Amino acid sequence: MADARISPHALPDLKSTTDDALANYLRSLHFRQHHAKLDVRLALGYLGVAIAAATFAADYRLGWDATKRWTAVAVCAYAVVNGGFSWWIWQVEGGCVFEGVRGGKKISIASKTNKHDPTYHLAVTDAAGATREVQAPFTAWFTADGFFVARPFQQWLARSVGAIGEADAKNAASDAGGSEGGEIAAESEGFATGSGEAGGVETKGKGGKRLKRKG
Amino acid sequence: MFGSLAALQPRQLAAQILNFALVLSTAFMLWKGLSVFTNSSSPIVVVLSGSMEPAFQRGDLLFLWNRGIETQVGEVVVYNVRGKDIPIVHRVIRRFGGGSAPLSLLTKGDNNAADDTELYAHDQSYLDRSKDVVGSVVGFVPFVGYVTILLSEYPWLKTAMLIFMAASVVLQRE
Repeated sequence: MADARISPHALPDLKSTTDDALANYLRSLHFRQHHAKLDVRLALGYLGVAIAAATFAADYRLGWDATKRWTAVAVCAYAVVNGGFSWWIWQVEGGCVFEGVRGGKKISIASKTNKHDPTYHLAVTDAAGATREVQAPFTAWFTADGFFVARPFQQWLARSVGAIGEADAKNAASDAGGSEGGEIAAESEGFATGSGEAGGVETKGKGGKRLKRKG
Repeated sequence: MFGSLAALQPRQLAAQILNFALVLSTAFMLWKGLSVFTNSSSPIVVVLSGSMEPAFQRGDLLFLWNRGIETQVGEVVVYNVRGKDIPIVHRVIRRFGGGSAPLSLLTKGDNNAADDTELYAHDQSYLDRSKDVVGSVVGFVPFVGYVTILLSEYPWLKTAMLIFMAASVVLQRE
C-alpha cells in the first residue's frame, strides 16, 4: 500500500490516503479500534438497499398493479432510512476517522480539509472529552509526485497528540526538523539532489541515504 | 487501480460497495416514487415510432399522469396492447361510457391513416381506460429519449455503462 501513488493535486485523495494511514498507524500501536459508528452506517445503508431490492423483486414477480400499495409504503420507508443514513454521516460521524482505546484510555479523531487548502486538520478528543485541534500541510508527508511517506507523518502525530506520543516514544522523541513548513522536494527513488529544503525527512546515518538534507 | 481496493479493510470495502448499491437503490426508488405519485406503471416513456408526427417525434421523452380518470377526446394516451409489452402513444378519437360506467376509448395515431383497431389484440376493439391505459401525456422533452432507444437497440451499451458506473463509484473515496 505504501507503493500506491496518488495525484498530489486531488484533495480528496490526499485526505483519504492520510486517513487510512492514520488508522493503520494507530492499529499498529495497539490501539483497539471501535467500529460502532461505521457499523451503524453500514447497517442503515444496507437496510435501505434491502428495501429497494425487495421492492424490485416484488415488482418483477407480481407486476405493478398488485404491488402498488406496498411500493408506496416501501418508497416512504426508503426515504426515512436514507434520510437517517445521511443524517448519521453528516451529524454523528462528523468526519470521524478513528475511534479506539489503548491502555484504558479512549481517543477519538476526526479529520477535515477545507476547499482548495492543502492542510490536514485533526480534531482529537481524549477520554475526558476535551478536544484539541492540530493541523499540518499535506506536503509534510507527501512527495511532490504523490507518494506517501509514513515516517514524517508518524512523527508529526506522535509529537502533536499526547496519547499517540505516549504509545510511540520513538517517533515522539525524534529530532527531525519540524516538518510543518518543509516540503519533500526530492524524488522518491534514487538520491536527492539540489533543492531539498530544510526540514525534509532526515535519515538516521547508517544505511543508504535516500534523502539528503541541504544546508 | 484495483490495488487500492485490495488494501482496504473489509468494513471499508463494504462501505465502498454500499456507495454503489445506494446509487442504484436511490435511482430505482425515485422511479418507483414517481410511479406511485402519478399512479402509472411507467411514468416516463420514449416515443419509438413516427406515428404521432408532427406532434411527437421518435426519441421524444413523454411525462405521463394517470390520475385523470375522465380522459377526453383529443388527449394523447399511452397504452399497452393486451398481451404485449410495447407502449403505444396515440390520440383518443372516441370515447364510450364514463361517469359511473367503465370508460372505453378508441385511439388513432395522428400520422396514421387508420385508427388503432388493427393494433389491438385479436378480440379487442377498444381500450379499457382503467386496465389498458398507462397514462395521459402531460409534458414532453424532445430528443432526450434517444439515449434509451440506443440502449435498447445495442444492449451491450447497457452492460458497458453499468460496469463503468460501478467502477467509478466503488473506486472513488470521497
